[in-house]
Amino acid sequence: MKTGMLKISPGFEDIMPPEYRELVDNGPYGKNYGIGDLGSYKELLEEHPLCAGCGLALSLRLTLASLPMPEDTVIVGSTGCSALAFPQVALHNIHSLFGNQNAVASGLKRALKLRFPDKEKDVVVIAGDGATADIGLDMVMQSWLRREKITTIMLDNEAYANTGGQESGMSMQGAVLNMAPTGKKFPKLSLPEIAQTCGCAYVAAASPAKPKQLAKVVRRAILVAREIGPTYVQLYSPCPTNYKFNPKETVSLIKQREKDGLYQSKEYISQEAKAFLESIEVKK
Amino acid sequence: MYLSVRVDKEKCIGCKICITSCPEPNVFIFLPEQKLVEVNESRCKACGLCTTVCAKEALKIG
Ligand SMILES: Cc1ncc(C[n+]2csc(CCOP(=O)(O)OP(=O)(O)O)c2C)c(N)n1
Ligand code: SF4
Ligand code: SF4
Repeated sequence: MKTGMLKISPGFEDIMPPEYRELVDNGPYGKNYGIGDLGSYKELLEEHPLCAGCGLALSLRLTLASLPMPEDTVIVGSTGCSALAFPQVALHNIHSLFGNQNAVASGLKRALKLRFPDKEKDVVVIAGDGATADIGLDMVMQSWLRREKITTIMLDNEAYANTGGQESGMSMQGAVLNMAPTGKKFPKLSLPEIAQTCGCAYVAAASPAKPKQLAKVVRRAILVAREIGPTYVQLYSPCPTNYKFNPKETVSLIKQREKDGLYQSKEYISQEAKAFLESIEVKK
Repeated sequence: MYLSVRVDKEKCIGCKICITSCPEPNVFIFLPEQKLVEVNESRCKACGLCTTVCAKEALKIG
């Protein structure tokens, strides 16, 4: 995309909202900023209505700041808490029907390839665990089996948070939630392993407790999807509201879970993806 | 006055950990010359997450 398209028509500067002006003057388009630059530029996300201390909001913010080419990225979202933040994101984004996100993203990626054959356009799915691992799992897996060149990012808060706290396939066994008062009866689904089996060229599990690692895996996943095939990133993003912990403990809770062996960061890279990443990461 | 995080400028060393731990966009502003952070109070939801990650105890909700 030409970043000039973002410029405000002369004479209209004073009537544009201040947030928009700030984005035009001080936003990240075309500047190759990363999470290390946060705090020094206008972010892609504006004030959002997600709860105080929301782990998912933190993951989303860090993910947006890690996009290799935001001006040429389209995000496909799904219904859920993250969908409430997307109206505030200064990025092309599509709200799909709950669970349809990977089917929509597949069509979009193909259409963009036809429309802009000489230009890279990144299509990134960002959706909750219910949308990814339960209701949308069929379409998610089928997009991987078809080797669609898209990145799927799951914001894993281990619940259907936006509908008041049902258990999801990603909740831990025994997890007690508002609408699962006797505790979940089955273990947490291991989607990274499924992603790997279904042919994802790059798979990672990370969390916002290690922002640099999160940024690295998001970036790698998007670059590998561009060149090779489907990629999957799972971001553990605890929900203080439904899991009823103090909002200031979101990050310490992840660290505690890691210590207890209940959360593990992971990275799987196919041979082809490894060779590709080595070629671009050495060059830098 | 709303609750917001406050920075003790004497204690802050500008490590930026609070910036990458805040779930809200554009709350912390980094001041490169002074090597410390400033807060946009109107955007802070006072969750307190930053106060738990700051090793210098430079942040307080108030
Ligand atoms: C087809 C369809 N089924 C059900 C719903 C109701 N619904 C809205 S949000 C939601 C839960 C979302 O859970 P998840 O994907 O885990 O995201 P979270 O809210 O936890 O971030 C459900 C079931 C819907 N909107 N559309
Ligand atoms: S309900 Fe949970 S996941 Fe949803 S916005 Fe609130 S803290 Fe975040
Ligand atoms: S974490 Fe503490 S010391 Fe580091 S920049 Fe923030 S306020 Fe300053």
